[in-house]
Amino acid sequence: MYNELRSRLDRGETVLLDGAMGSDLVRRGVRWRKHGLETDAETVEALHAEYLGAGADILRTNTFQLNPRLYLHVFRDLEHMRQIGAPGLEHLVPKLQKTAVALAKRARTKAGADGKVAIAGIISPLEHCYRPDLSPPYDAALREHQPMAEVFAAEKVDFLLAESMNTIHEAKAALAAGRAAKLPVWVSFVIGPEGELLSREPLADAVAKMEKGGAEAVLVSNAPPADITRAAGRMKGFAKGPFGAFAHIGRFSPPSWKFDFHPQFIETEAWPPAQYQAEARRWKESSARIVGGCCGTTPAHTRALREWLGRS
Amino acid sequence: MNYEPLREKLQKGGTVILDGAIGTEILRRNVTWADHQLTSKPEFVRGIHEDYIRAGADVISTNSFQLSRRALYNHFRDDAHRHHIGAKDLDERANLLLAASVRLAVEARERVGAKRPVAVAAAITTLEWCFRPDLVPASEQARREYRELFGIVKQNGADLVLFETVNSIGEANVAAEVARALGLPCWVSFVPASTGKLFTGETLGDAAEAMQQRGVDAVLVNCAPPDHISTAMKELVPRAKIATGAYAHIGRFNPPEWMFTDEYPPARYLKECAGWKQAGARVLGGCCGTTPDHIAALQALR
Repeated sequence: MYNELRSRLDRGETVLLDGAMGSDLVRRGVRWRKHGLETDAETVEALHAEYLGAGADILRTNTFQLNPRLYLHVFRDLEHMRQIGAPGLEHLVPKLQKTAVALAKRARTKAGADGKVAIAGIISPLEHCYRPDLSPPYDAALREHQPMAEVFAAEKVDFLLAESMNTIHEAKAALAAGRAAKLPVWVSFVIGPEGELLSREPLADAVAKMEKGGAEAVLVSNAPPADITRAAGRMKGFAKGPFGAFAHIGRFSPPSWKFDFHPQFIETEAWPPAQYQAEARRWKESSARIVGGCCGTTPAHTRALREWLGRS
Repeated sequence: MNYEPLREKLQKGGTVILDGAIGTEILRRNVTWADHQLTSKPEFVRGIHEDYIRAGADVISTNSFQLSRRALYNHFRDDAHRHHIGAKDLDERANLLLAASVRLAVEARERVGAKRPVAVAAAITTLEWCFRPDLVPASEQARREYRELFGIVKQNGADLVLFETVNSIGEANVAAEVARALGLPCWVSFVPASTGKLFTGETLGDAAEAMQQRGVDAVLVNCAPPDHISTAMKELVPRAKIATGAYAHIGRFNPPEWMFTDEYPPARYLKECAGWKQAGARVLGGCCGTTPDHIAALQALR
């Protein structure tokens, strides 16, 4: 399946990523615990199905910011987690990853889209996606990303998307983990207020290093549409391979007590689907060949993009 | 006015009953806790306070766990990033919610109109995550933040600060000093490791001494299972020259929520508390996983 996606990119076609999972699940009233994968599996599957119905070429697994640190870091240490934590927490992440892949696959099969739509396994920064200062060093990052990449490989996702990376070194680690698991890898970077990576490292440098490391595509994401438009415009100048763009809409409204990423975006009505589509046209004009939606976007946004791009 | 009777009671060696959990009680009633529900469901939060007062709590603690500017700001790289992509009210949100949490507890007391004195304790925990002493901020920065937090709760009618789930003596010292400077009575509750020491390796005896020196009226332990609390009481009570107390959690932390278990129904939890009272504790209540029924059972300790 990935080869077909890759040849579409090589032919210069534009491929359509789905839109947000987490923020739309929260909007649908899913309590953000274990990504809804244990308590609200039907809702997760139904959202994948809606993105398929809207015309997405790629479904992303509902595993953003899901990694063992998410659970370990709210305890003093592993021993404390074993003492007062719910049983099984230390083995939870691979289980949730498997569930997440299964739900995306089931939605794809039910829609009759096997062989037509690719499933991207999502890995993301080990610490909060908006906190590059907390990113662990390369070796530690590689050690922790590796098992997650391997689970996705064993579950036969079509490729790996290292999403919302916020430093070059951790992106390199995620890329190396995916390559070692023999998966094609795409990498997306959070664009900071300055227009570079959130770490302030130059986007040009990040793209060059990802392409050198074997990334099949590099994308810009996790920033408002106008920022993504500017970033996509610059990507044209230095990306040698295919690149992509997807923006978040609305404003991030974190929960008032906890530290992990809780995908709540408010005031998303400021970017209705037609307006988002108009902005995405500018990404394509800048030669982006992968477009889609980041936090805050919905199946209606995906549908608007598909209406403009035409059937694939 | 509402605190003085409690202080006298403690000085005379009387027993004071705290309330039970509020965050997990919100979850147990099948409501999400992502925003503390202070502005979205105020009557619901207030109703839980009312239930605890009716169950017999002498002290009700506000629904303000980890509610601070810092908790919200930690989700962003820096001010520039927060202002660029964050909700527009984030600079003010934490303080407004904290004020609301105190007012809801005060309102609950007015609505129930209990004949006994009921004090409103502003429940404030560490600036960074309560189980992570490695993240404790530098003292001068912490002092600025506690001045702001304690100032808000005082202004909105809190009778005392319950500085709880504390993981280091250093941060407790700063908070206790700030409370004293504001003239706000302060109780400090530490989270014990299974060893009976703090997560930092510091002893509860040293913690009690430091708190006494800073004018704290009671030193407690909380947010650990009953057997860890029992171990901790053995460390704490012999060395404390001020009132001591304990409130354990029941069940398991299942982040970001709570796993409720039936290991400690009210009658069994009462037995644990009676043991801590026997050991010398004078302030008893419940942490995560406890309910108004648990607090009702503790009335037998009076």
